[in-house]
Amino acid sequence: MARLPGRRGPRGIDVLETMPVSPWAGPMRWMLRLFGLAVLTFLYLPIAVMVLFSFQEGRSVTFPFRGPSLEWYEKALANQQLIAGLVNSIWVAIVVATLATIIGTMAAFGLVRSGVRFPNGIRIAVTMPIMLPGILLGLSLLIFLARAVGVPLSLWTVVLGHLLFTTPFVVLIVAARLSGFPRSLEWAAADLGASPVRTLRHIVLPLIAPAIVAGALIAVTLSIDEFIVTFFLIGPQSTLPLYIYTQIKFGVTPEVNAIATLILLGTLTVLGLGALIASGGRRLRRPREGAV
Amino acid sequence: MTSEQRPRLRRQWPLLPIALLLVFCFFLPMALMVVYSFWTTDNAFRIVPEWTLKNYQRFFTNETYLRTFGKTLLMAALVTIVGIGLAIPYAWFLVRYTSRRTQRILLLLTIVPFWTSYLLRVYAWQAILGARGLLNETLMGLGVISEPSRVLVYNNNSVFLVLLYVYFPFAALAIYASLEKFDFTLLRAAQDLGAPPWRAFMRILLPLIKPGIVTAGIFVFIPVLGEYLTPTLVGGTEGVLISNLIYNFFRGAQIPAGAAPAFLIAAFVTVLLIVFRRYLRLEDVVSRG
Repeated sequence: MARLPGRRGPRGIDVLETMPVSPWAGPMRWMLRLFGLAVLTFLYLPIAVMVLFSFQEGRSVTFPFRGPSLEWYEKALANQQLIAGLVNSIWVAIVVATLATIIGTMAAFGLVRSGVRFPNGIRIAVTMPIMLPGILLGLSLLIFLARAVGVPLSLWTVVLGHLLFTTPFVVLIVAARLSGFPRSLEWAAADLGASPVRTLRHIVLPLIAPAIVAGALIAVTLSIDEFIVTFFLIGPQSTLPLYIYTQIKFGVTPEVNAIATLILLGTLTVLGLGALIASGGRRLRRPREGAV
Repeated sequence: MTSEQRPRLRRQWPLLPIALLLVFCFFLPMALMVVYSFWTTDNAFRIVPEWTLKNYQRFFTNETYLRTFGKTLLMAALVTIVGIGLAIPYAWFLVRYTSRRTQRILLLLTIVPFWTSYLLRVYAWQAILGARGLLNETLMGLGVISEPSRVLVYNNNSVFLVLLYVYFPFAALAIYASLEKFDFTLLRAAQDLGAPPWRAFMRILLPLIKPGIVTAGIFVFIPVLGEYLTPTLVGGTEGVLISNLIYNFFRGAQIPAGAAPAFLIAAFVTVLLIVFRRYLRLEDVVSRG
């Protein structure tokens, strides 16, 4: 009778080794493997094509492939508009990440530690902005700022918009971590004579640091990539996604492929960094589910 | 808890900044949008505070608006159903047919697109399917077609394909988180008790991974309702969704007219969230990043 390859069951017992399996198990395994491979191809083929043609020579983005050349990378890096957009994007992302991390971490403390009434209600209120489609956030904030308050649109209005959908992530992640370690650690510190501020600085903050860093990195990633909210709230300036949008709205250009490849590299670096920091924290103590 | 109750207010100050942010940048703007949706504009496109249902009436009596709204709901439903339909076997493959090590790597590979630029993932498809994109140019080069085919892009199909591509990682992640905790010996038990595999799947597995399915559904359905970029870039005139309409109203300075459908979507999403709140596992999706 066909057998599945040995794999630990949820209780650590190799259940599958000891059990007879239906005759369909073999074909099904191969079908699912093929399917998995097909899905991964579907996910990565467009990205691979995009990266490949960033090294293409000349204007066209089609086979036969001519190159490799760095022509489009040189053009992209010499493009003043693009660089200006990138600088704006980075500025917004840094301001957003900083503010979101501060506001979000404070809120997480308030949520988990202050014995606040209706913590679930607050959780829902905090999560609402990330559950609603971004176009509604951008639109309503634009109407409010432009019509009711009368603030001129600028990068600061973009920052406000971005704070709305980044801060909730920081709150969720830090709150999960904060409720995931025993308070006895703090009580022990207090017993040993540490002031609340000292306990916070030497016990609590080091324990939740990986969550804070992860939250900040998520904020950076989301902010730097955001299109629709920025689209509504930006003034005369531009950001990188907006610049790319104006370039691709009417067609395909290898220059955007080059920018895309560079952004991909940047994202992977940030993700790798985040994973490294998060796993560094995990070694300290296994966090509960949801603490990244 | 009782000893902690007294100085409660004083210890709640850390919630103040987020409260200000939410009230002034989210709840008040949303409320204002709702109010505007019941007001009207004069001939110079100034907003006039006259209470009226005109904006809603216009929306519900205009065939184009209604059709677009219906199509947006249908598109969101289709992307959600097909996405989950693909995510279950995919997550099954990850959980059952890969070694721990490969599973970790493949899971990472599934998540990475989720964190890479959304705009660029849509663009990647435009570059393949578009008028001057890879597929058309290649087919023309081979002499199969003589001019750029409109079958490939700028229609509903291309919008569906790209949305599926963009949101599949969400679905896969949510389903995986559920399926990973599923005890597969239950399926064997069901079969030992005489249930055919299909019934074991429907009656045992599906109910137990329901939270994952609902989370996946919410995380795909809601963003698709508000999709602007994908229909704009690969949808052409045929692939227009409700967000494009809303945006056009605002561009034309008809804020109350656009606020009405925007409020409808917001209300619809809120109802969905309330109905399914028990199953939502936001942390599962967030924490995997």
